[in-house]
Amino acid sequence: MARRTEGGVERVTASPANAGSRGAFAETAGASAMPSHTTLRPTSVAEAREIVRDAMTHNTPLRIVGRGTWLGAGRPVGATRHVSLEGLTGIVDYTPGDLTLTARAGTTLADIARATAVHGQWLALVPWGGDAGSLGATVATATAGPVGDGLGSPRDVVIGLEAVAGSGEVVRGGGRVVKNVAGFDLTRLMVGAWGTLGILTEISVRLRGLPECETTLAFPVPNASAPLAGFVTRLRSAAIAPLALEILSARLSAQLGLGESGVVIARLAGNADAVAAQRDALAALGDVAEVTGDVWTALRTADPTDATVVRFSSQVARFPELWLAAERLVAAGGGHAHASVLRSSARVVLPHNAGAPSEAALELLRGGSRDTRIFERLPTTLWPVLAPSRVTDRLSQGIRNAFDPHRLLNPGILGETQA
Amino acid sequence: MTHAPELADRLAEVVGPRGVLRRPAELVVYRSDGLPGYSKHPRLAVFPRTRDELISVVRLLAEQGVPFVPRGAGTGLSGGALADDVVLVGLNRLTRILSIDPVERLAVVEPGVVNVALTRAATPYGLHYAPDPSSQAACTIGGNVAENAGGPHCLKYGVTLNHVRAVTAILPNGEIVRLGNAEGEADGYDLLGAFIGSEGCFGIALEITVRLSPNPQAIRTLLADFTSVDAAARATSEIIASGIVPAALEMMDGATIRAVEASIYAAGYPVDAEAILLIELDGLEAGLEADVARIEAMCATAGARTVRVARDDAERARLWQGRKKAFGAMGRVSSHLVVQDAVIPRTRLPDVLATIHEIAQRQRITVCNVFHAGDGNLHPNIGYDANDPDEQARVQAAMREIMAACVAAGGTITGEHGIGLDKIEYMNLIFSDESLAAMCRLRDVFDPERRANPGKVVPVHSCREWHGAPRAAWSA
Repeated sequence: MARRTEGGVERVTASPANAGSRGAFAETAGASAMPSHTTLRPTSVAEAREIVRDAMTHNTPLRIVGRGTWLGAGRPVGATRHVSLEGLTGIVDYTPGDLTLTARAGTTLADIARATAVHGQWLALVPWGGDAGSLGATVATATAGPVGDGLGSPRDVVIGLEAVAGSGEVVRGGGRVVKNVAGFDLTRLMVGAWGTLGILTEISVRLRGLPECETTLAFPVPNASAPLAGFVTRLRSAAIAPLALEILSARLSAQLGLGESGVVIARLAGNADAVAAQRDALAALGDVAEVTGDVWTALRTADPTDATVVRFSSQVARFPELWLAAERLVAAGGGHAHASVLRSSARVVLPHNAGAPSEAALELLRGGSRDTRIFERLPTTLWPVLAPSRVTDRLSQGIRNAFDPHRLLNPGILGETQA
Repeated sequence: MTHAPELADRLAEVVGPRGVLRRPAELVVYRSDGLPGYSKHPRLAVFPRTRDELISVVRLLAEQGVPFVPRGAGTGLSGGALADDVVLVGLNRLTRILSIDPVERLAVVEPGVVNVALTRAATPYGLHYAPDPSSQAACTIGGNVAENAGGPHCLKYGVTLNHVRAVTAILPNGEIVRLGNAEGEADGYDLLGAFIGSEGCFGIALEITVRLSPNPQAIRTLLADFTSVDAAARATSEIIASGIVPAALEMMDGATIRAVEASIYAAGYPVDAEAILLIELDGLEAGLEADVARIEAMCATAGARTVRVARDDAERARLWQGRKKAFGAMGRVSSHLVVQDAVIPRTRLPDVLATIHEIAQRQRITVCNVFHAGDGNLHPNIGYDANDPDEQARVQAAMREIMAACVAAGGTITGEHGIGLDKIEYMNLIFSDESLAAMCRLRDVFDPERRANPGKVVPVHSCREWHGAPRAAWSA
């Protein structure tokens, strides 16, 4: 790997062999097929802007890779220049009494967790893949892990941000206070845009106090539709306010050491009285066991590398159907599944090494039902078969044109036609 | 060339003759909204009764290239519903609640549904609509969406943005779009997030799907009284820093307390206090008392004279009525009232409130503070006589100083009332020209002709704003 510094921008030329050697979810399987690329590492917003302006001048698209821990996500991006945010790190502003924090986009979630834990606080964004990833990637992909049930998604947690738009301008939305309606909402626009409107450079978030007490309970689930429906109804009407309530397929619960059949795990938090009362409320529903809170970390990092990951979501009333469909898919594809009971959103993880999904599995992946499907990670072979475009409507196209008129940022990642 | 009378006739064909107001005398009431000191004359006002009529009205205006201002109940406090020589589209007749689904916990409403009417309709299911602006007895859900409205209970439950799942909107060009996804996770760009809080500049919501929240199992409402604003501000900062998230944490200062207690909304607040905190905790019954005890202790440490917990629903309702009707009560103090809106980091409450006090004294004006202390959302309210030019000038000067102080403290110029007309001049205090230009480009995606609510939100120089209707040859 060759490194040189040019105008404050470190350039790393990665050869295919060592491309994406970082992180638990580095690009590995596709590495041999990857063309060699240049990695740019801005260390300031000014450098990030220079990179975009240079890309405009030379009409060379950019692949924004964050910290490079989740490169398999999304769809193919035709860019030989990668922009790593590993050099754009650090907490810019943190006043614990305000319960807000501003950090540069490349800051790892682990660094934020360490800094806030000292003050009994946390950033309640616990996306899939662990804490080695960056705040910027979490926000750009709007990834919310199980605690999104109780504490909201990046859309709810982000209070302001700064980005270098594809037009070469530095734009800011929101601010550093928890309530703000000044101006049109550039913040919401950038959250979940997968870097296609701007390279996120700085993000402000709201924090929460760490709960006084926390416990995780597991209990077995019925594996037929009708009993499952009744069970879910009882869960939803129980006197609990869980941070997360996740149902796991049999294979996943075995992998996490929770037994051989499907379980529901509930993450309860609050003061001692509140946690005790919630535990009692759940115990009234069935055979409950207290398990270690580490299962949540294990769940976040349970995806095999280069898996196909699809999220299905539906109306709450259709949750039993949704879950049974997810289980059928897993049975056909050999992976695992889990779902948020409260949000009615299932995540199906099919290992790539299981070979091509069967026709039955493909049929389920394509949908055909009313469920909403979001492809989180999709191997190259499945791109042509399963890649409905996310942003083909006129308004979305207009927004892309307004912020990235030359289609320089992550072109193709949303399944849109490459310019 | 469509002249105004002809346009009015064509609109009347759509909404019926009584749905169009065109004579100045009929339009007087629509010259202002909740923001005092401004009077703008709409050219005419049109009031569709149904979704289809609204669609026809917007399409007719599009065809004619006529600018318009959508208006809900006109309770907005930033002048967002003022129509300066353009057509006002009144949405307050679209008041149907289309559905309430207790399983999905969703309601679908027309834009003119009054905020509290939705909560009333959801009550039989044990549900409510969480955003609760002080004007909730009058303001509409459509207006709430346009302004991304907040309210006291947004501290714990979030603002309008966090409670809207989907919107079917008509764009200014007449195109109907569906934003968001009420039946699952949303994907792609957050067009819904961009639409919410766009202050009527992106289009008009035809149909809004909102989340309904289950009523909490238990509620405790506390009243803590202090002999100084500073002590109450310190108590607030302490409570927030503790990590407990109250459902609401409101502050009222001495002047406000005395105005409320002298009015028909008297709530039993101690009139000799210089500040009170109204703190509400809710959630599961279990564990609530422990949090109440912690908050009582924090208030006492900060110097509270007493902390009392409302004994029953009646007392709780009375404590809240005093808070929500405080703006009305201030009508006793002076003829006009500016309800200001700014947000600061919560640790800065004591010093910024002291600065505001100093500004008020120097400018010889009366500032009453009644606000959402828990999220740092200040409402310094200035009572004055708009017919006294000298006093009006001092009020304007004080407001500018207060905004500057909030921005200097790391805050923002509006937390829930919007920019409208009133705050435009402050936009460049917090946004660069590049950011303002980006906002203009976003607006152009929804409304390239800039006919919807022209002249609002983003300063003219940034947007190369509308200079009279381009295709509108309708001026007489």
